[in-house]
Amino acid sequence: MALILLKNIYKIYNVGGEEVRALDGVNLEIKDNEYLAIMGPSGSGKSTLMNMVGCLDTPTSGIYEFEGEMVQVMDDSQLASIRNRKIGFVFQTFNLLPKATAQHNVEIPLIYANIRKDKRKEMASEALSSVGLSDRSHHRPNELSGGQRQRVAIARALVNNPSIILADEPTGNLDSKSGEEIMKILDDLHNRGNTIILVTHEDDIAQHANRIIRLLDGKIIEDLYIEKNDSFIC
Amino acid sequence: MILLFVENFKISLSAVFANKTRSILTALGIIIGILSVTLMGTLISGLDKSFESSMSWLGKDILYVSRYEWFSDMEWWEVRNRPRMLPEYVNKIKEKSQYALAVAPVMQRGASLSFEDKSTRTEIFGTNEEYMETISTNIATGRFFTKNEDRSGSRVTVIGEGIREAFFGDKDPVGKYIKIDDIKFRVIGVLEKQGKFLGLFSVDKQAILPFGAYKRIFSKRGWMRLSVKVPDDKLEDGLDEIISVMRHIRGLKPNEKNDFAINQTKAFEKQYKALKIAIGGTGIFITLLSLVVGGIGIMNIMFVSVKERTREIGVRKAIGATKGMIMGQFLMEAVTICLFAGSVGILLAYIFSFFINKFFPSELPIFLSLVAMFMSIVVGVISGFIPSYRASKLDPIDSLRYE
Ligand SMILES: Nc1ncnc2c1ncn2[C@@H]1O[C@H](COP(=O)(O)OP(=O)(O)OP(=O)(O)O)[C@@H](O)[C@H]1O
Ligand SMILES: [Mg+2]
Repeated sequence: MALILLKNIYKIYNVGGEEVRALDGVNLEIKDNEYLAIMGPSGSGKSTLMNMVGCLDTPTSGIYEFEGEMVQVMDDSQLASIRNRKIGFVFQTFNLLPKATAQHNVEIPLIYANIRKDKRKEMASEALSSVGLSDRSHHRPNELSGGQRQRVAIARALVNNPSIILADEPTGNLDSKSGEEIMKILDDLHNRGNTIILVTHEDDIAQHANRIIRLLDGKIIEDLYIEKNDSFIC
Repeated sequence: MILLFVENFKISLSAVFANKTRSILTALGIIIGILSVTLMGTLISGLDKSFESSMSWLGKDILYVSRYEWFSDMEWWEVRNRPRMLPEYVNKIKEKSQYALAVAPVMQRGASLSFEDKSTRTEIFGTNEEYMETISTNIATGRFFTKNEDRSGSRVTVIGEGIREAFFGDKDPVGKYIKIDDIKFRVIGVLEKQGKFLGLFSVDKQAILPFGAYKRIFSKRGWMRLSVKVPDDKLEDGLDEIISVMRHIRGLKPNEKNDFAINQTKAFEKQYKALKIAIGGTGIFITLLSLVVGGIGIMNIMFVSVKERTREIGVRKAIGATKGMIMGQFLMEAVTICLFAGSVGILLAYIFSFFINKFFPSELPIFLSLVAMFMSIVVGVISGFIPSYRASKLDPIDSLRYE
């Protein structure tokens, strides 16, 4: 069974009487534990597709099945529950709450999941240490570097043990060294069985994935599986 | 749900404290509203208290028969033309009435009292031995005068606690002689302390003399009233009967109007109720006005808060907040501001009532504090509702894009 199944998805905006097809008939199947990179020029619909998959956006037409369930018929609390438990978002601009500490930022999904305080603290600390930030848990975002902020964001994304991590240009605002650190964490998550979907402009970032799709004007123009030879990477 | 509640409360507190000046300014309307409602309540409860004790001093079961109504819009000449009260009415009423339990004539005037080198001006009363039954105060030390002392014109007096304190201090006043307008009277008793009537003037500075002596020495004519005690479960019947007895004494024909007045504490109660309604009405008006203005301020600030945190709302939705959770967060923020405002208002009211209490017996009722707190919450919920609802409806994608 496909984890994610998009059938003939359209997302059409009307800007000043003119039709903008952000997604123009997308068909896509993503299986468990895939590592997918979405590429394409600016405005091609990458973020729109990502938000669709993350149940943040609804298609103008088409069918989206998440774990075999029709997303269109779900109500707000079901969608919120999927976003909370099954999906972890990582944004290009981090989107941490500026006044909250790293620890608290990471705890927020757990609060929405109604997890008790002591358990919550434990899970958040664990998530922070898995991204190497145990010693920064009481810092606020403005006391952290860009790379560290993104790692806090990843900790927040993975703290509730979601099966899917969605990362929209996670390295877009980072220098290449910090970017590599972030990619290492994503690789690790993939190796531990998570499904990773990643939007990127950079080819060497996309090389971390084992499948690359290219978008152009809202259409998938290329869908490529990369055969990886582990000995090759070393 | 509890977890979320606690969390939302923390978020609200930090949001409120992050914008201290803004929060305080916003809260001002609510603070004034809560302050005015609690102060109004304080005032009314204080009035109630002193009114109650003053009324019990007057006695609900006492009819005050005199020439004048206590509160009346009658023309003065009409009242003036009424015949005066006469001492013989006492016995006539006793003869004809079956409800009158005690009848006391009361004459009153100012006089100067002195003892050794101390002197003071005060009110003196001339009355008979049944007077004690028509007031709620008891004798503290000594005794009241007897019927015989009254008849024989004995120069004895019962003084108020205020006089005793001023003249005798720690000494026993009973048996001592004081001078009332230069005539010697022997003190035979002291009344209990009574406090201030309606919180205004003290009734403890008085001296009570037997009617016989009073009349002979101070005034044969002069203003007089009768206090008639009736059974307190027969107030209406008693009143009707005393009216008809008085009409009979005065020899009025059925078509003639009463040429006397019968006053009851009820008359005070009516006046008092009107005063209470005036105070209450003003208080409620100010309260409602400031709560509405305050509520609009809160609503406004909540719209600003939602706008400022649009991106945060997008993030929260992306990581699993439902519409209800977002709504709860902002409602809580509005309620927190209002609760803060309410607490400040109540605190100020306590401080104010402490000072008011120095001039006038008053006390902020606990119950009213709770009502005020509840009102704050209601204002918070009402004024926070629309902004919070909007926040909950925000599209997560649009919010995340919001700069
Ligand atoms: N709310 C909107 N209203 C109108 N048009 C929109 C809206 N959101 C997106 N679009 C349009 O949809 C298209 C796809 O946008 P999208 O953000 O998915 O592109 P992208 O591939 O993520 O680009 P980038 O690499 O710059 O992030 C764009 O042409 C954009 O202008
Ligand atoms: Mg994009």
